[in-house]
Order: sequence, then structure tokens, then C-alpha cells
Amino acid sequence: MPPASPDSKQVEHLVRWRLSRHARRLLTLALAAVIAALVQRRPEFLGLAAPALLLLAAGRGVRPATVTITVKPSTTRAFEREIVALDAAATGATGLDVRWTLRPGKGVDLVRTGSADGAEVRLLVSPDHWGRREFGTVEMVLRDRWRLTEGHVDITLPRFNCYPHPAEQDTRVVLSRLPNRLGEHSARTWGEGSEFFGIREYVPGDRQRSINWAASTRRGRLQVNTFAAERSQDVVLLADATSDVGEPGSSALDLALRGSAAAARAYLQARDRVGVVTYQWGGADWLAPGLGKRQVYKIIETMLASDSGWSRGASFRKLPRAALPPGALVIVFSPLLDQRFVEALRDMRERGFTMLIVDVLNVEPPARPRVTDRLARRIWKMEQEAIRFSLRELGIPVVRWNGTDPLDLPLAPYTRRPLMHAGSRR
Amino acid sequence: MTDQPSLADAGADNARASQSRIGSRLPVLTATAASILLGAACTAWSAIPDQGTTGAAFLLFLIIVCVVGSALRLSLGWIPLSEETYLMGAPLRAWLSFLRFIRVPPWEEGAAITIIWLELLHRSRPWHTAVLGAALIAYLIAVHLAETGSTPAALRPQVPALAVGACLLALGAGAGMLHPAAAGAGSALLRVVAAVAVIVAAGLVLPYVSTRSRR
Repeated sequence: MPPASPDSKQVEHLVRWRLSRHARRLLTLALAAVIAALVQRRPEFLGLAAPALLLLAAGRGVRPATVTITVKPSTTRAFEREIVALDAAATGATGLDVRWTLRPGKGVDLVRTGSADGAEVRLLVSPDHWGRREFGTVEMVLRDRWRLTEGHVDITLPRFNCYPHPAEQDTRVVLSRLPNRLGEHSARTWGEGSEFFGIREYVPGDRQRSINWAASTRRGRLQVNTFAAERSQDVVLLADATSDVGEPGSSALDLALRGSAAAARAYLQARDRVGVVTYQWGGADWLAPGLGKRQVYKIIETMLASDSGWSRGASFRKLPRAALPPGALVIVFSPLLDQRFVEALRDMRERGFTMLIVDVLNVEPPARPRVTDRLARRIWKMEQEAIRFSLRELGIPVVRWNGTDPLDLPLAPYTRRPLMHAGSRR
Repeated sequence: MTDQPSLADAGADNARASQSRIGSRLPVLTATAASILLGAACTAWSAIPDQGTTGAAFLLFLIIVCVVGSALRLSLGWIPLSEETYLMGAPLRAWLSFLRFIRVPPWEEGAAITIIWLELLHRSRPWHTAVLGAALIAYLIAVHLAETGSTPAALRPQVPALAVGACLLALGAGAGMLHPAAAGAGSALLRVVAAVAVIVAAGLVLPYVSTRSRR
């Protein structure tokens, strides 16, 4: 089965013609009736066989050896639960009934019934989970006017990328100390922004329009308004892919990817430079911070490509400087179950990175009545609390996110005022 | 995404899909119901009057099995079969095995053969057999419409052939009503051969006549 090209190229397919089930049934009926008539010498059974024989004898239709088929997906990448249209068209099947049946691939749902009739049809599918998915296969059945023969063509559809559905996030955590680069965040220094910063005495060269006449009248000397500088920041999203626990669809990894996608979109909208580091067993994949809309897709693709990219051991010390620029805000999405990952976070903190951890652990060990089980569960919970406590003690905020609420809710205490830079006094 | 249809369009498509879902299944449901009724009618028609023999009872049992199997195949054919059954429970796995099983045997072929066989067990009754023939053809057509999801309009090209077929069916029944010319084994065979000749001749002539009359 040749695969359908994603760019809607017309491909000629060989048609496998065979007798239809309807024809086989008519043939069975006719033969049974003729045999009955001859064996039992009863002519009325010949009459019974006659309509079926007549239909079989009269049926003559066009049976082309090949047809040209175009199957074009509306996109080669989609978010979870987004509807993707597949436009299918067949040429060279004039005078034949065409039926398309879509058999969706794993993790892809049909939006409507998977069958449609006509030379040109549109089938709708929706991926239900992120990952590299297959649309599936389309079976085209050609039927002649007498419905006695069927031509079959199978087309394998191309693969596509399904991105995690980003969570809602409109607010952003902003560092107290921002690099000297033009952006949209108000810095704690005066500059050419639009947000009021303070008042100072007029010096020659100041614009006349910035004179604050009320303050000048009160103080008896000319005073001018100053405005906050607007800067951008570097944000590195750190997705922990070492442990995937929880219900499929809302597991820790699902939440980590959806949260990272939301954060990437929110910070890139504010013209920040955003990069990503995906931590997993045996290494880390990374993408250097960058700007622009395309960076969202690059970040998500980096998170999805677990086996490709840079992978040199499970230590952030070995990551190049480009992956973790100094002074960057590091937002971590992790269930904090892997002790080595927690150690890596402590190590990063000691190296002076400003971090914020979004805890995506939403499951606990099952509660069982046995004493030892209850004890184990209690110890586990205490261990988890100890891990979070130790991170908070190091000055790393840890917020919990359940995956259903907007990310703005757990981040609210840190989005109202700038996050103090590592090493700064609170 | 630049090459993505807008979400508004997709949402509208989705809404239309949910509205038309029942509408799109209506021809299939109608044809399935028709095939079930016709199957039951053929069974009853071939069974009466009751023969009272073990062979007839067994044949009737086989017919009922085939017709019920066909009805189940058509009614449950739309349920998709999952290929991954490893993690499923035993009841669900048994249900999927059942669904997979009912799609395999040629129920309708079996029903046609056994119905004709049961009809053979009765003494000659030409018009009864002719009605059974018409019902069997209608049953097979209804099954075809139900399994392909087509509307009856798809069979419009076959209407002239079906009309001619009905005439031949009546002709066959008429031939069956003629008494043998003389007693003996050859006489009955001769009657069959004569009926074949008449039916073939009519089959050749009737389409020509019907085409001329339309002109």
C-alpha cells in the first residue's frame, strides 16, 4: 500500500476487483434453486432462480484497472482533541459508486462516522493524546451499478504530530533583575518604558512634555516624570520526563508537557526568549532560548522527540551554556519523584539559577487497610513533604498544579510581584 | 497553525456531524429492519404448513440460526473491533470474540439454501414457491442495502431486470402448475426442460419488449 503524500499529490492506485457478497448470495440462491428444480423435477424452482440469474447475467459495468486518488490531511500537526479534516478524492471512477472507509490509527478518534460516499469526501478525525500519531488507513470501495463486483483500494495515510493541549496561562512570573534587552516587562530601573517609575529633578535635555507640573509647583523646582525600563527575560522550561505516574491523559508527564506548552506560549507572547530542557533517563534534550511564534512548536517538538537531540548523561552541569543562560528564570514541571532529578535541581540552585517548581504529582499510593500498607503510604507522603520542604528551604518556590485549573492560579503569588533573583535578599 | 482549518470551522463541522449522525444511520437502520422482517417472513413462509418430520424441524432450526445470525451481523456490524484485547476483562473479550465470530459465516447464503431445501420438502405448490422466491430476492437486496449503507435509489438501474425477473418468476410458477402429459420418469424431466426453454426464451425476449415499449 503506497502511503498518501501529505502534500495532496495524485497517486494512481491499482484496483483489486472481486465478486461482491451480493453477487455471491444471488449466485448461491440461483444454483440452489436450479439444482432443486433439476433433482426434484419441479419447474417452479426454475422460476425462483430466474430473477437472480437475470441480475447476474445483466450486470455489466465499467471496471477500471486503476484510479487516481488524492487524500490530503488539512494539517500535519495538531493539538490534542483538535479536529483534523481529511479530504479524499478519486478520479477515473466515473459511473461507479465510491465508498470511503477510514480506519483511524492508535490514539486517533473518528469525529463522525468513518464512512462516506462520493467521489470527493471529507472525513474528520481528532487525536486524543499527544505524540507521533498515524491517521490510519483509508479503504476505498468501488461498486458497479449492478452491485455485482467490488474494487478495493487501501491507502496508508501519513503520520502527524499531535501536540499536548496547552493549559491556560495569561500571567507571567517576572524576575526582579532583568537582562539589558528590550522587552515588555517593567524593570526596576528607569528607562524608556510607559509605566510610571518616579520623579526627579529636571536637567537640561529632558523633554518638556515629561515635566510634572504639580510636583514642580509643590517643590518650587522643575520636576520630571521617569518611566520604568522595559526588558525581556530568558526563560528555560524544565520538563521532568523521568516518572510518568497517574491516569493516562492526566498523568504527571501529560501535565508537565501541557504546562510547559502553556508557559512557552505565555512567555513568547511577552517577547521573552524561551528554551526547554527535557530531563529523562540517561540524558537531557534541550533547545536554546529563542523568540517568535515558531519557537512554541520547536519547544513542543523537542519535548516530544525523546530519542533524538543532545543526550550526554543525566547532569545539567554538562549542558552547554546556551541551554541554560545565566540569569534565566527556570520553570520546572515535575512530580519530584526521582531523587536524582531533585539533586539536579538543588545543584542548579547552588549555581545561582532562579527557579520555580510546578508540582504535577496528582496521585498517591492506593489506601489499603493493612497496617504495613498504611505505614508505607504515610512514610511515602512524609518523604514527599520532606523533598518539597527542602526545596523551599533552598528558596525554590514549589506550587502544586492539578492540570485542570489554569496555571495562573498556582502561580498567582509569584506573578503579582517580581520573583527575587537567586542570591538577592528578600 | 498556519495550515490548519479554523477552530470555528471545525466546531461547525462537529456540530453538523452530531446532528446528522442519526440521519446518516437511518437508511442502514431501515434496511436492517427490512432484512430482519423479510428473513422472518421467508422462514415462516417456507415452514408452513408444518411437516411434522425431524428433517423439517432440523432445517427450520438451521434457517432460524442463519436468519438470526444475519440479523445480528447487520445490527452489530457498525461496532468497531479493537485489536488490542490483552488488557480487557474476560466479559469484554468474550463480547469482542462474539462480534468477530458473527461477521465470518455466510449467514444469508446458508439461509437461502436451507429455505429452498425446506420448500422442497413440501409437495408442489408453485405460487407459494413464487412468492417465496420474490421474498428471498427482496431479503437479499435488503441485506445488501443494510451492509453497504446504500439507499434504495442505488438499485434503480436494476429495476427493469427485477421487473423482468418477476415475470419469469410468474412464468416458472405457471409452468409448475401444468400437469405432466403422461405418467413416467421422463415426463417430469421433460416438464422441467420445457420450463427452462420457456424461461430462457422469455428472459431473452422480455428485456427487448420492455425497451421497445419505453421507446
